[in-house]
Amino acid sequence: MQQRVNSPNGLNSEMFDGYDASRTFDEAFESSGMARGTYQRIIERFAGLDAVEHQRLESLVADEFRRQGITFTVYSEDAGTERIWPMDLFPRLVAAAEWDELARGLSQRVAALNCFLADFYGGECEAIADGIVPRWLVVSSSGFERNAVGISVPHRAHCNIAGIDVVRGADGCYRVLEDNLRNPSGISYVVENRAALAKVCTWLFDDHAVQPTEQYGQMLRSTLESMAPSGRDSPHIVLLTPGIYNSAYFEHAFLARAMGVELVEGRDLVVDDHTVYSRTIEGLVRVDVIYRRIDDDFLDPVSFRPDSALGVPGLLGALRAGSVTVCNALGNGVVDDKGVYPYVPELIRYYLNAEPIIDNVPTFMMWDADQRAEALGRLNELVAKPVGASGGSGVLIGPHASQQELHAARTAIEAEPREWIVQELVQLSTLPAFVDDRFEARHLDLRPFVLTGEKTEVFPGGLTRVAMQRGSMIVNSSQGGGSKDTWVLAREAL
Amino acid sequence: MRFGISYRLHFRYSEAVFESQNEVRARPRDDDYQRVLSYTLISRPEVAVLSVLDYWGTTVQHLGIRAPHVELELVAQATVETKPHPQPGRAPALAALSDEKYRSDHFEFLVPSAHVLWQQGDLVEQRAIAAAAKADSVEELVSAVVAEVRSTLVYRQDCTDIGVTLLELIAGGEGVCQDFAHLALGMLRSVGVPCRYVSGYLFAANEADSGFVAATVQEDLVSVQTHAWIEVAVPGWGWWALDPTNGVEVGEHHVVIGYGRDYADVPPVRGVFAGSAVASVDAEVVISRQSTQNQQ
Repeated sequence: MQQRVNSPNGLNSEMFDGYDASRTFDEAFESSGMARGTYQRIIERFAGLDAVEHQRLESLVADEFRRQGITFTVYSEDAGTERIWPMDLFPRLVAAAEWDELARGLSQRVAALNCFLADFYGGECEAIADGIVPRWLVVSSSGFERNAVGISVPHRAHCNIAGIDVVRGADGCYRVLEDNLRNPSGISYVVENRAALAKVCTWLFDDHAVQPTEQYGQMLRSTLESMAPSGRDSPHIVLLTPGIYNSAYFEHAFLARAMGVELVEGRDLVVDDHTVYSRTIEGLVRVDVIYRRIDDDFLDPVSFRPDSALGVPGLLGALRAGSVTVCNALGNGVVDDKGVYPYVPELIRYYLNAEPIIDNVPTFMMWDADQRAEALGRLNELVAKPVGASGGSGVLIGPHASQQELHAARTAIEAEPREWIVQELVQLSTLPAFVDDRFEARHLDLRPFVLTGEKTEVFPGGLTRVAMQRGSMIVNSSQGGGSKDTWVLAREAL
Repeated sequence: MRFGISYRLHFRYSEAVFESQNEVRARPRDDDYQRVLSYTLISRPEVAVLSVLDYWGTTVQHLGIRAPHVELELVAQATVETKPHPQPGRAPALAALSDEKYRSDHFEFLVPSAHVLWQQGDLVEQRAIAAAAKADSVEELVSAVVAEVRSTLVYRQDCTDIGVTLLELIAGGEGVCQDFAHLALGMLRSVGVPCRYVSGYLFAANEADSGFVAATVQEDLVSVQTHAWIEVAVPGWGWWALDPTNGVEVGEHHVVIGYGRDYADVPPVRGVFAGSAVASVDAEVVISRQSTQNQQ
């Protein structure tokens, strides 16, 4: 039975007419149709608009993004691959206490993953010796970078910038869906979403004290500074990009500007005597920290892919000499591997002697015969994911799959069980998103960012992505997803 | 035995190159059967060399030359003392290969790698299965597969490039030491025997002639190339070193540089340079047998 929201809190508005908060956990409305306390005032604000006014504000935001060149790239299409970044005006609100708990859980998870990376690449491999993670599974990961073994990493902080994708299911609980410890992108959109919303809809912020986002550049910069090799005061930082054809180039340029550091390509750097230098108009300048946004394989054509024109020849030698730090460290892909994901709760218990604050989504390991049999028996209710997939590609959602697709997935899993995990389907939580002339419930996720150097900080909020198609759970912008500004509320509301 | 080894690489460029960066793996390792008494890497032009151990425990040396140059000479000089390897202990039953912990411990040496690729049911696996059919022990199985490699390939100097596939080797019927090693690794792994690639030096008249040297050679100085062979993880015993090119067990004439999954994990030299020159290289290994009588 559907329950409808007609006039939230007695406001007579057509904006929320027919809003269906009953499909799963709706973050703004209870299933009865009552507004949740956190969202009461923001709903009133939007209820006070009409569709025409809302559309006008949306187009102002789009103009703002267009003027700033805030776009994203869709690789698969032939033409018009640059798109204006899509943002829905209705923000996501996270109450202070709720955020504190979530942030503690994120810090905990990233701390455990950093412990594992340091343990593994440092050569001790205690978690493997103690049977927490099987050795064969780790060494068979495509993200395992043998050249990372033996490189010393300041503060043992292998992951300096993590993007942890979390979702809320029908029970409203946060769960981690995916860890991104290589080159997580999206933070620039978090900052730009806020800037655009604050400019176009300043009045929206009247009733709330929202934690700011414009400080990200400074936070990132101080994190990176703390990663400089010891003895390098006032370290020289560069951001290494693959160049303008990369889908995240906008973000690379944005972050370099926000931090006040050089944006460089591989050819702008040169290694001499196992030390990295930047070529500048004032001659060579020694580089201490490289925030790299290129993949491991492309970093150094001497030791990795010889055909890479993006990297810096000799960089691995400089890393082994300890004269420079690369952030994130090499080889973090081993924990982005979804084959390692099911072991993360155990890694938290092992390294931190604590219970995980945020759970995983229940996951079946396909390389375990019993779990495989159980999962394949009810694959039509579950979600199958390739362990190396990102951006939602190759994911099979059981309830939406045809018989042929289910059969093909079973065959693929039986053939290469190490390459797959299967998870319970999470009915992602919903929020109002403006569709045509009113708000409808749309599914969403959240990518918060965790910065780790000498200390760990969780950036307030994160990137909320929203599936704009009715019923869709695919939130990726490359597949038609939108975004929302994410407000972490300060303790004392106004 | 004590050997003096001089491994010389001489690169010449058709015009000046610059910003050259290189990785060298030429230093013999220290292990139970060999001891490195001295080692130096000389570079002309002269530059600072960084020496570290890589993931596999092999010494890797990084060096770069930023200034323009038309040639680069690298000379690795080592003095090494070797001992004979013991025979593997009592041949373990084949069931030991299926032990879960043993397989997990040696997983990297059981699966395909860059130069050791095969697929279920292909000729590599078929031939290995046929060769292994009559074996009752790990030792017999390994010997049978190595014999199969030696009946498949004939040694011919410089006949292949490093990019050759295992199926191309079987079709072509000839190879150099890397090819013998890679084909043996592919066949052994395809029947579940963990094994690794070894790069090193062999004191022999040429790399396919160790039997001759061991039996009769009178000369004390040979001029050869770097060599390659394999090591097999024998359950309950350890690594058993075999030289498929020569059909012999590895002994005191073999000097190990390092090991890995295949050639790509332990190439003697790898590098890049800036500039549009054409490069040529002369590589030579000179090994001299030295007297140890006064060195007690």
